[in-house]
Amino acid sequence: MKIAMIGWEYPPFKAGGLATHCYGLTRSLADKNIKVDFYMPKTKQSAESDRPNLRIIETGETEIFPYDRPDTKEIGGKFYDAVYYYNALVVSKVEENIKTNGKYDAIHCHDWLTMKAGVTLKHKTGTPLVLTVHSTEYDRSGWLYPNQWFIDIEKEGMENADRIIAVSHFTKRVITEKYGINPDKISVVHNAVYPIQEGHKKEIVLFLGRLTIQKGTEFFLRAAQKVKDYEPDTRFIVAGSGDMLPKLISQAIDLGISDKTIFTGRLTDEEVKHLYGISSVYVMPSVSEPFGITALEAISAGTPTIASKTAGFSEAFANCLKVDFWDTDEMANKIISLLRYDPLHKTMAEEGKREVELFTWDRVADRTIEVYQGVT
Amino acid sequence: MTSICLYFEVHQPVRLNRFSVFNIGNRESSLRYFDEKLNEEIFTKVAKKCYLPTNNMLLDLINESDRKFRISFSLTGTFVEYCNQFMPEIIDSFKELFKTGAVDMIEETYYHSLSSLYEDLEEFEDQVRLHRQMIKNLFNYKPKVFRNTEAIFDNRIAKKVLEMGYKGMITEGTEKILGWRSPNYLYRPVNTNLKVLLRNYNLSDDVGFRFSARLWKDYPLTADKFSQWISNCQGQVVNLFMDYETFGEHQWTETGIFDFLKHLPEKVFNYKHLDFMTVSEAVEAYDPVGEIDVPWAISWADEDRDVSTWLGNDMQLACFNELKNIGDKIRQKGDEELLKTWRKLQTSDHLYYVSTKGLADGDVHAYFSPYEGPYEGFINYMNILQDLKQKLD
Repeated sequence: MKIAMIGWEYPPFKAGGLATHCYGLTRSLADKNIKVDFYMPKTKQSAESDRPNLRIIETGETEIFPYDRPDTKEIGGKFYDAVYYYNALVVSKVEENIKTNGKYDAIHCHDWLTMKAGVTLKHKTGTPLVLTVHSTEYDRSGWLYPNQWFIDIEKEGMENADRIIAVSHFTKRVITEKYGINPDKISVVHNAVYPIQEGHKKEIVLFLGRLTIQKGTEFFLRAAQKVKDYEPDTRFIVAGSGDMLPKLISQAIDLGISDKTIFTGRLTDEEVKHLYGISSVYVMPSVSEPFGITALEAISAGTPTIASKTAGFSEAFANCLKVDFWDTDEMANKIISLLRYDPLHKTMAEEGKREVELFTWDRVADRTIEVYQGVT
Repeated sequence: MTSICLYFEVHQPVRLNRFSVFNIGNRESSLRYFDEKLNEEIFTKVAKKCYLPTNNMLLDLINESDRKFRISFSLTGTFVEYCNQFMPEIIDSFKELFKTGAVDMIEETYYHSLSSLYEDLEEFEDQVRLHRQMIKNLFNYKPKVFRNTEAIFDNRIAKKVLEMGYKGMITEGTEKILGWRSPNYLYRPVNTNLKVLLRNYNLSDDVGFRFSARLWKDYPLTADKFSQWISNCQGQVVNLFMDYETFGEHQWTETGIFDFLKHLPEKVFNYKHLDFMTVSEAVEAYDPVGEIDVPWAISWADEDRDVSTWLGNDMQLACFNELKNIGDKIRQKGDEELLKTWRKLQTSDHLYYVSTKGLADGDVHAYFSPYEGPYEGFINYMNILQDLKQKLD
């Protein structure tokens, strides 16, 4: 079987869970004898394949950062143009490859940015289209002021797809309820993780993610303030960057926790892994979270995790603590309990690591192949 | 003759309020540990679905059979307190059942606790005495057979139970102690002269667990079929021990569980070599045929049939030890309310909710738990224990 997969991020270039997903999925597919051509924009650091069945095909440069939110018309204009430009490039590149190497069995797109290309190729070449939805515009906007332009692209992609893979039942519901898609067309495949080495634990409570409204960082800071009086030696790390950073720094100062809170900015992969390893508690307070691979990463590094109840991760994982993202009292209660009660920390760390072993890319690849088989 | 001992455990735990770390040491939340509203809600619901209708049916069956249908109960102290508080008519109906002379009462710890596993058995004895006093007050009766919390049993507990004047004790008929031997006989612990009745877990679980399982090869279970299985058993006794809530609660009315119960006596009486006995009568009538040696505690819970259901992970052990270790201080203090609170917290259910067994496959523990999961259960329970501990300083 031969698949044209269209994405826009792949390690070492990485902005979110989509890169992690594409990396794990393509390698495991290749190991299962599926030939994958992975199309993506050219980035500063070139992505490389370590599997003979997997080719990374970089198609032109683009300035787009898909988690940016075009606030003004001017940036918006450029942004939209860049998106159309990338999609058009991908289409011609894929067509070129089809001419030399023959047709693909399916086209597989990830999220809105690549959907235009997927839909065009489907109609031009008559190849079935599979679409994985990692997040929707509703998630990225935190359900406040979603942008219709993105929604229209997403809807068009979903309607044209022969089969949709949602990363959680939560996301499947959004796709059916907000985009009016037939649920029978949607398969749920939960994400996976390559385990991370556990480090020497310190009294650190970690947040890691893009600092956008979607990720609920402000609730993390509010909980931190409540923890501070009870566990004065604890430090809170906010790792990542994003448009909310200046606002969050001011918030930390206002809350009187700036001496306990560290904003790291953007980190390298190695730094991220190190942080997961040495943290005692990981908190994922997302307002809207289709899955949340970071929770799996933290748990694989032996770090007990408190996650938003509605996160896709929470529906799939038992050995974690769940909270309403707005309930910062309960969040603080759980953070303090994890810091204070060793038996709780130890049991969650051990049982969590055991459960996380079930979340393999091998399983994701198997489920994805089932989807391919359904459309070809 | 083979005698059927039908015995029901009747218990409701005292569920806890949500208690966060911020409540610890806080005057306003002082000793407000128990969720009165939830407890009343669950109790009255179960009473209507199970206790009242089942008691009525059993009374009819006893009378119709001219008291040849005989049963045994153990009522926990927490259960009886609920009755007194919310529905005294349930106590009246148990009294009526007892008056028939076909019903036996079994002893246990008042608080359905794990006090039998403390190094020092003083608290265990106190809780047994409390239960004994309660049964005397209610039924003017002194039980002869003892059943420890969830049938927890070992040589040491057996010895203490004999010392306290009981003739028989109930536990699980597990291969762990029986090997190839049958549970359908009475046995004697290696170290004491007590008669031990062993639960026939296959037949008991056919009713308690499998009754409504559609994928079970013997589904649907009828009184006719079940009596036939019993009639094929060899031995002195067939001990069918289960939660009373099996009737109408674990197995809903729609499953046909009440029809099953209703026809069970008449179907059994078709077999001339079968009769019903209370557990006291069985202990009088039969003698042990062999010895059992139980150095490590067993129970009737989960697949493991040991105490790992309550003490299987570090969180459970931490709570258990915390609770046990403040015992001396509390008992010395002589504050009745504090002592009673401490004892209510000893009910084994609180630790059951903290079990992580089979968590990833969401098993039977989740069905009974008032928490989202074991970790929430631990945090809540431990916070309360920390608060209680602070009250002692």
